[in-house]
Amino acid sequence: MRAWLALAACLALAGCGPLSDTHHRPGTSHQVVTGTPTGAADASATVTVSGGKVSPPPGWLSVAKGQQVSLTVTSDVADELHVHGYDVTAELPAGQAVTVTFVADLTGVFEVETHGSKLVLVQVAVK
Amino acid sequence: MIFAHGVGSRSDLPIPLFYAYAGAFAALVISFLALGLLWADSRFDADRGRALRIRPPLRALRWLTLAGLVYTLGWLILGPADDNAAPYLIYVLFWVGLVPLSLLFGPVWRALSPFRLLPDRPRAPLPARLGYWPAAIGLLAFTWMELVAPEPAAPGTLLAFLLLYGTAQVTGVLRYGHAWLQRGDPFEAYSTLIGHLSPVGRRDGALVLRNPFDNLDAIAPAPGLVATVCVLLGSTGYDGFSTAPAWVDALQSGPLGRVGLGTAGLLAAITLVALLYGACLRLAGLIGGARDLTPRFAHSLVPIAIGYLVAHYFSLLVIEGQRAVILALGLDAQVNQEPVSPGVIATVQVLAIIAGHVLGVVAAHDRSVRLLPADRAVAGQIPLFVLMLCYTLGGLTLLFAA
Repeated sequence: MRAWLALAACLALAGCGPLSDTHHRPGTSHQVVTGTPTGAADASATVTVSGGKVSPPPGWLSVAKGQQVSLTVTSDVADELHVHGYDVTAELPAGQAVTVTFVADLTGVFEVETHGSKLVLVQVAVK
Repeated sequence: MIFAHGVGSRSDLPIPLFYAYAGAFAALVISFLALGLLWADSRFDADRGRALRIRPPLRALRWLTLAGLVYTLGWLILGPADDNAAPYLIYVLFWVGLVPLSLLFGPVWRALSPFRLLPDRPRAPLPARLGYWPAAIGLLAFTWMELVAPEPAAPGTLLAFLLLYGTAQVTGVLRYGHAWLQRGDPFEAYSTLIGHLSPVGRRDGALVLRNPFDNLDAIAPAPGLVATVCVLLGSTGYDGFSTAPAWVDALQSGPLGRVGLGTAGLLAAITLVALLYGACLRLAGLIGGARDLTPRFAHSLVPIAIGYLVAHYFSLLVIEGQRAVILALGLDAQVNQEPVSPGVIATVQVLAIIAGHVLGVVAAHDRSVRLLPADRAVAGQIPLFVLMLCYTLGGLTLLFAA
């Protein structure tokens, strides 16, 4: 009986309480660099967004699990970059190249997109 | 972004080439073996099986679902923009969760549906020509929202859908009584069709326990049944290629715009599935010397559609299902983003597609020997097997290439 009451209390508390941190907070597991990339990454992609167009067209970046991935993005308008799954985010000032690096430690195919213009820039396929 | 499943932050890797070949080879061999070796007289009979004496507490279950619905609406109306539980509850626990639940327990949404709490007082008899058409349209609307809508996980989108869905169901029940829900509620039709592959079925208003093949045989042809199954197959197929790089590029830079081209792609996938079905069934009728076969083989596509659904949603359920529970209950836990390895996912995907193929072939064979004259039954089945091979190889290609 006590166990049930405790469980019910937990559920009630959990239901009303603030939301938990369910995924990594940005800024803990990756780096954001403004300017040209330094240091060697195992796989990298350079993408330019201009006038709502992505060049080169959004393709796949295939990497092995555990490799270092480096993405360099230049957008003609201020935007925010987001690597899904890894939850890596970075501010993209207008016209400035921004490089994010992260270790690909989850398998699957992950979209890299801009939040403002909602464009898929590249899909990172981690095997 | 291109949401493959309404929610979720990853999609599956392509299956290895070996898996695709092994699956295709198995499908071919099984089809030809079935043609030559399976029984010559129909064996499945929906009238078999024994009555189930279990009386589930339906009223309590439906009130619980209603509470869950109100909770979800609460999240949609009052919840935060980020980490909102509602899209996960709807797209993962409800839509995807209904597949395994129905495969195990039969017509689950019928037992849970809060609309069945409304009084059953029909003012008009349900017109027979409606059949499954309302369900086909409802499922198309839901999959369009999931795969094509600009903001599938936004509270506004989901509220608009729930409002339309709820209004349609309440209106249907007020006019036609509970009879409406069986084929008018898209999710009840979906859950009941999937449930025909479980050991639990319904006969004359009571639950029966029977061989899943007998249960599958009990799907009665009705207007719109083929369309409903084609919507399920076609939308899952579209889901498979919607994240392919070439399609993503076309969506982002094409002249039709994202929603325009996405809608066209979804409708094209469903039309392709339906045209292929219509053509092969016509050919089977010509060879087999029988008429009006089209609605009578729709049940054999149900296992194939379920195979597609399992292959496309398995990883979503095991990964985002955790997020649904964590967010909905406010648990202090992390989502395990890799509870199963890519090898396990690929194996489940290929096995689901092949299992669906085998069950579909067996169901179609049994129906053929019942409907076609004995001397033409084998030849008449060839177009059906070609049809199923097309769906199965198509499904494997999508898993491999997209």
